[in-house]
Amino acid sequence: MKAYGLIPRNSLAWLLIAQIVVLLPQLPRLPFWVAVLWLSCALWRIQIQRMRWGYPGIISKVIALMVVVVGVFTSQGTLIGLDAAVMLLLLLFMLKLLEMRTPRDALVVIYLGFFIVATAFLFNQSIFLAFYQCFSMLVLVAALVGLQQTPGRNDPARAFRTGSVLMLQAIPLMLVLFVLFPRIGPLWAVNAPGSQARTGLAESMAPGDVADLARSGELAFRASFDGDIPAHRDLYWRAMTLTRFDGRRWSHSSFSSAGPPGDWQPRGEQLDYRIVTRASHQPWLFSLRGASSEDEQVLMTQDFMVRAKRPISQAMAYRVSSRPQSLLDPDGLDPLQRRINLSLPEGSDPRSRAWAAQLRETHDDDAALVQALLTHFNREPFHYTLRPDLLGQHTNDQFLFDTQRGFCAHFAGAMTFVLRAAGIPSRVVAGYQGGEVNPRGDYVLVHQFDAHAWVEAWLPGQGWVSVDPTFQVAPERIERGLQEAMRGEGSFLEDSPLAGARFRSIGWLNNMRLAWDDVNYQWQLRVLGYESERQLEFFRRWLGTTDWQRIGIFLLVAVAIVMLPLALWTLRPQKRSNDPRKQAWNQLNNRLKRLGLQARNGEGPRDWQARLVAALPGQKSQLNAFFDDYVMLTYGHSGGKPDKMLTSNLTKKRRALQRCLPRKLPPGATRVLD
Amino acid sequence: MRDALNEALRAVDQVLLGKQQAVRLAVACILAKGHLLIEDLPGMGKTTLSQALARVMGLSYQRIQFTSDLLPGDILGTSVFDRNNAQFVFHPGPIFAELILADEINRATPKSQSALLEAMEEGQVTVDGATRPLPDPFFVIATQNPVSQSGTFALPESQLDRFLMRLSLGYPSMAAERSLLLGDARKIRLDRVEPVLNRQQLHALQQAVPDITASEAIVDYILRLVSRTRESQVCSWGLSPRASLGLLAASRAWAMMENRGYVIPEDVQAVLPSVVSHRLRAIEDPSGHGGGGLAQWLLNEVPAV
Repeated sequence: MKAYGLIPRNSLAWLLIAQIVVLLPQLPRLPFWVAVLWLSCALWRIQIQRMRWGYPGIISKVIALMVVVVGVFTSQGTLIGLDAAVMLLLLLFMLKLLEMRTPRDALVVIYLGFFIVATAFLFNQSIFLAFYQCFSMLVLVAALVGLQQTPGRNDPARAFRTGSVLMLQAIPLMLVLFVLFPRIGPLWAVNAPGSQARTGLAESMAPGDVADLARSGELAFRASFDGDIPAHRDLYWRAMTLTRFDGRRWSHSSFSSAGPPGDWQPRGEQLDYRIVTRASHQPWLFSLRGASSEDEQVLMTQDFMVRAKRPISQAMAYRVSSRPQSLLDPDGLDPLQRRINLSLPEGSDPRSRAWAAQLRETHDDDAALVQALLTHFNREPFHYTLRPDLLGQHTNDQFLFDTQRGFCAHFAGAMTFVLRAAGIPSRVVAGYQGGEVNPRGDYVLVHQFDAHAWVEAWLPGQGWVSVDPTFQVAPERIERGLQEAMRGEGSFLEDSPLAGARFRSIGWLNNMRLAWDDVNYQWQLRVLGYESERQLEFFRRWLGTTDWQRIGIFLLVAVAIVMLPLALWTLRPQKRSNDPRKQAWNQLNNRLKRLGLQARNGEGPRDWQARLVAALPGQKSQLNAFFDDYVMLTYGHSGGKPDKMLTSNLTKKRRALQRCLPRKLPPGATRVLD
Repeated sequence: MRDALNEALRAVDQVLLGKQQAVRLAVACILAKGHLLIEDLPGMGKTTLSQALARVMGLSYQRIQFTSDLLPGDILGTSVFDRNNAQFVFHPGPIFAELILADEINRATPKSQSALLEAMEEGQVTVDGATRPLPDPFFVIATQNPVSQSGTFALPESQLDRFLMRLSLGYPSMAAERSLLLGDARKIRLDRVEPVLNRQQLHALQQAVPDITASEAIVDYILRLVSRTRESQVCSWGLSPRASLGLLAASRAWAMMENRGYVIPEDVQAVLPSVVSHRLRAIEDPSGHGGGGLAQWLLNEVPAV
């Protein structure tokens, strides 16, 4: 490697290709001018190579640096944090092109490129990106190889081939390290990158919000059950309770979820399942009723939810056990909870309050009142729709008595209002209902359009009871999902004509979609989800230990096992030649080597012969016979192989020579050799 | 004819004492139809060698002393106006001889150097629009003085590449120098040398060189050597195809002088240092041409068999 001298043209081409390949996955996140900056840097560097322009001076460099810093600040609003830091790194990586004078500078650019490949995974861990980044690594390695080529032998295709071979050789080592290398926790925590708004459950709900969510075909989470998958109608995925009502919005109150879980009596059969969520940047997790989890990342809350300890910044897998028949808070509510779950804003929805008072008069028993309400929803001409009418000031009044058209949020909100007005503690539960079973992987896919809201009412002796007014109006929504429920209206995913879930009726397309989703799920579960917990589980199961010292030894042994064949292949002795002359030569020399006689580096056959005759004067005639024959056969013939008789003669002479060779070198012979 | 060749070698050895290897390489160079560059200190016998060679081979001989004011016309010849016939008459320069000694070639300006080197490459000269062929065995021995480089114009790599071999005579051994001092003066010895070969015989020998067998094994060896210089990180650049052609031709000539009908690796190794050392430059030595160490490195590095 030359430390001085110019960067050859081919190497520069490789470098520019490598740079664009490395930058490509990051560009969509960045403002448009970043691409323009890269193009101008590349153009400038090409012009430098063509000796049209010079390298930038110190002043222009300082200006460029300031422009970059200001650019990062204006687009990210800060210079601190992961997004800004990565953007700054990328921009400086581009500017480094203009400082790249010698091959050593180019090395710095390539090493930076490897680092930038890694940073892309902070924002995205999809299977596509993983494969693409393998390709990026390959291009970087090829650029590295290209940089090491001499000007006389500068073949870009060869650099690529060498790079591919190097990458292929590294794969076994990569697998061993992936499985065995300890997952060390981060040394410092970084803020979650890319926390831009995404669709998902929000902490508050106005009538119509959930209907918006139902227009999205994005995936919310996947769940795989240890046993059979429960029926669609039983899959009520609870995410959060909404307890505070301001006359229009239902919102989450930390008072009802801050503490540890209240009293509960586990009942009924237990369901064990694992859930993999995507990065939602919110702490909500999903579980069925009566959930408990021993996962370290998971908290249990007072309203019997599970939630993550911090907002979920990357795909997360956790295990939950649920017993949906359990009784929650059966022995009574504490006064604070009771007050929260009964509170209503002053002066809103007078008609609903009047109706609640009327119901209270006719029904003494709380359970009967709840049942009466459900029956009301069932009997009256309520209509389940994704296109509800806009509501005015008294939303519940208007919905219950005038429009009677709405989505689950309208029904749940209105029912909770009436129950509270009638003095029954109740709350809205937001989450998802149902899900699509993927028969390939035997798991449930829950999309954003499965978002749902329902009601929990507290009844003495029974605790919190889940009731779903939507089921009274549109049972097909609960039995078979939103698409079936909206069949008549045609409003399922009407804003996203290309969403995969729309095409469930086309058989092969749906199969492909589910197969692809299965691949993604396995990727998340087995590759991304292979975190410290699962690794320890793996060690316990296969190695029978979680002692780090022993695992370290296993790691070393596995690396040795993987690398040994590679090393043997690379360091294998010279290829066995199929030329009989060469074979005879090699065999004789191997035999002589055992005697301690070895040709010098680059020694010709006649010189070697002369030294051998001096060392083994007793075998002079046999030595001369073999060597004369060998030289004559190898160098006296032009073109083609000599005929068989001659080569077998050579073999005979070699055997004759080897027969008369001594077992040990006579003393003094080595002195002659030196 | 081989005997005549051996006789010729012996005759030159009589004049230039104790330099058998250099003499043999110089003869091999002539047989391979290549030009020779001798780089050595003054007084080491460069001129003696070239004169002895010319006499033994029965070649016409001219010596051109290169100086900084030498002009191309001084080498090639000029047209002079003849008053009697009222026309230009070409007066051929010293280059129209079979063996030229270009003494201290690096003292002349590049313009004059290239006049000579072009003639070497083309085998003909063009003066005043008329192309004139040079004599058929045409052989140039150029000398260079490696010290006192002030006021000289070093030959660039492209022109060094035109010389098949570069030799260095070096000091004679003590015994050789003793007999040199005790014996007759060089001039007398030189006059005593009789032509052993004639032009036709030399021509026939030169024609026989390409018929020496070079097997695939030997070609592979040469290819290994050449590609090693191209790929290694030790040389600034690799050997050119002209160098590999020259290496093969010189090896064949060497094999012929060994009375062998085919080339063996030892032949290649014998000629390799003088054929490649002036074409290589070590990366650690950006200004020099001391390729001798590189040739040795190359021989040790590449397996011969």
